[in-house]
Amino acid sequence: MTDPEQRGEIERAIDRFLRQDLMSRRTFMRRTGRGGLALGAMLTLPSLLAACAPGKTKLEWANWPLYIDIDEEASPDPTPYPSLNAFIKETGIDVHYVEAINDNEEFYGTIQPDLAAGNATNWDIVSPTSWMVKRMADAGYLEEIDHSKLPNWTANCADYAKALWFDPDNKYSVWWQGGITGIGYNPELTGREITSFDDLLDPKFKGRVGGFSDMRDMMTLTLATLGINPTTATVADAQKAKDKLLPLAQAGQFRGFYGNEYYDALSAGDLVASVAWSGDITQMQLNDNDKVLFVIPSDGAPRWNDNLVIPKKAAWIDQAHKLINYWYDPTAATTLSEYIGYYTPVKGITERIKADADAYRNDGDTENADYYDAVAPSVAPSADDLAKTFDYPQFENAADEKAWNDMWLEVTTAAG
Amino acid sequence: MGGGRRRLTPYLLLLPGAAWLLVFFAVPMALMLVMSLQQGSVSGGYHLTWNWGIYPEVAGQYGNLFIRSIGFALTATVLTLAIGYPVAYTIAFYGGRLKNALLLVVIMPFFVSFVIRTLNWRMVLSDNGLVFGTLKDLGWLDPAFRFLATPASVIFGLTYNFLPFMVLPLYVALEKIDRRMIEAAGDLYANRARAFLRITFPLSLPGVVAGSLLTFIPAVGDFINADIIGARNPEVAMVGNVIQRLFLSVNDFPAAAALGFVLVAGTMFLVGLYTLVVGTEGLTS
Repeated sequence: MTDPEQRGEIERAIDRFLRQDLMSRRTFMRRTGRGGLALGAMLTLPSLLAACAPGKTKLEWANWPLYIDIDEEASPDPTPYPSLNAFIKETGIDVHYVEAINDNEEFYGTIQPDLAAGNATNWDIVSPTSWMVKRMADAGYLEEIDHSKLPNWTANCADYAKALWFDPDNKYSVWWQGGITGIGYNPELTGREITSFDDLLDPKFKGRVGGFSDMRDMMTLTLATLGINPTTATVADAQKAKDKLLPLAQAGQFRGFYGNEYYDALSAGDLVASVAWSGDITQMQLNDNDKVLFVIPSDGAPRWNDNLVIPKKAAWIDQAHKLINYWYDPTAATTLSEYIGYYTPVKGITERIKADADAYRNDGDTENADYYDAVAPSVAPSADDLAKTFDYPQFENAADEKAWNDMWLEVTTAAG
Repeated sequence: MGGGRRRLTPYLLLLPGAAWLLVFFAVPMALMLVMSLQQGSVSGGYHLTWNWGIYPEVAGQYGNLFIRSIGFALTATVLTLAIGYPVAYTIAFYGGRLKNALLLVVIMPFFVSFVIRTLNWRMVLSDNGLVFGTLKDLGWLDPAFRFLATPASVIFGLTYNFLPFMVLPLYVALEKIDRRMIEAAGDLYANRARAFLRITFPLSLPGVVAGSLLTFIPAVGDFINADIIGARNPEVAMVGNVIQRLFLSVNDFPAAAALGFVLVAGTMFLVGLYTLVVGTEGLTS
């Protein structure tokens, strides 16, 4: 320990460890943390109390954890978000950004009573996933978007990011960020290429592959292997998917049905292959394990997106529009995408990130140049990506949805 | 007049305890029962329809999970007893001046949060981690071997996490045994094993009863170990996991409430049976 050289080595090791921690924190629980511990809900409690106070001074925005650019050095700062800070400075509208959503259903449970009673929630903007937008819109819980206030959206929104099934006229929602649920695998451990979801179910990998605990993701992947269009699948179709998965689950094919923790298990090699989110694997290759590859299964995979919506009776509807419009500004969208790497709704961001990579390379900063080069293609889906992916199942009614959920719970608990 | 007040005194003294039970047990149980008998959806709201059919329904769907949970919890309880008894015995009888320090050592890891501790075990026990990675590198273990995400790993987690709840009551019971009785047994020609079986063990039974209740009851409803160490493997899912998912992910409140009600009622029944067989004097003496 006294040897200075040795000490330097230890310090470097600690530094590496901390950095690694930062990186995994970035990806940790970035999206639907099924079975999360409602931490997000607890964190929002003070903010809820603050928002109850008369004399509103901030726009309240509920988003998923680690879904925005963060200046890690400015972390004691209440809003260490460079792109959001630029908006605050530009407009004078103060924004209280809260990572309050860990799970669509869970978060919905916190605002639904107010909405059902016809009261305002404490939020001005929330960021639900596609199907949740539909549920909220159908229940009359969303304010209509006034497109005359969104010139950036009209000018810059990519075709793949508008007029989607859950809101065909973008009457209530616009795209925030999106991605694909596919398969991540380590070819050194599988010993072969993986191209389809059925490859993941190969008995050779028994107990060494991971599934998701998310019903919609898993049912979509399975239905696609059966040649059934998951988007329009019926309860009878779901039954077929369950009949395929349950015996496999009971035979121990899946090591587990993961939430965000699949990331660590796949990166560490506990899993040779796993259902995975596209953005995560880009991050994994850059930060944790460059052997892991991402594929969109040949039979098809789910694509999803989270949205910006304004809950009914929000206090700052006008300011909310300004912020939504701001995210469709290409400069803001580029800053955001360079950090989080999901599908952006704004046109031309890939090119802008590549330009930034070139600028870094000209400055001799190859590390950043390589990073941006790797991120650039992952921020927009190709036509091929879109052709190979499906929207989530669209249930006829709540009873159907419950039937799907019950079947899925049977698989994940190997019950029945 | 004084006599009247004296008759009331025991009931008045019971009041805080009774109020506690009412507010934190009876009322929540009643609410859970009412919730379980409702039908509807989160969006449309739930309405009380006295749907008793939910009970056979969840029993049919998740019956084997109850059996699995009880099996896991029971195994963990027996293991904590087997591990905890020698520990408590050694500290109580041979701890000497170090008794308090040794007890502190037992409790020390539990100053760290439950979830963090469990997460750390997941790291230590991962397939290529500190323990199994090393053994595999040495060629002493099949490379395909895994411990995480197996029933054994969940039982391990439960055993580890609830061990102090077993050690502490055992220690208290063993500590207060009058050593002269064991000496007397020796004087009456009992060898050490016999003295243990006839004197020490029976006198430590209160600790065994209290310890196994404190271990079994939280273990049977636990979901953290199956979630983290068990990696949500379908074969290790416990009732707690289903309740948690039904409540938070699926928002099927009635089914979750029904399962919760059955879990609490079932645990009470098992505990009642246990105390009937073993007796409760142990707990009060």
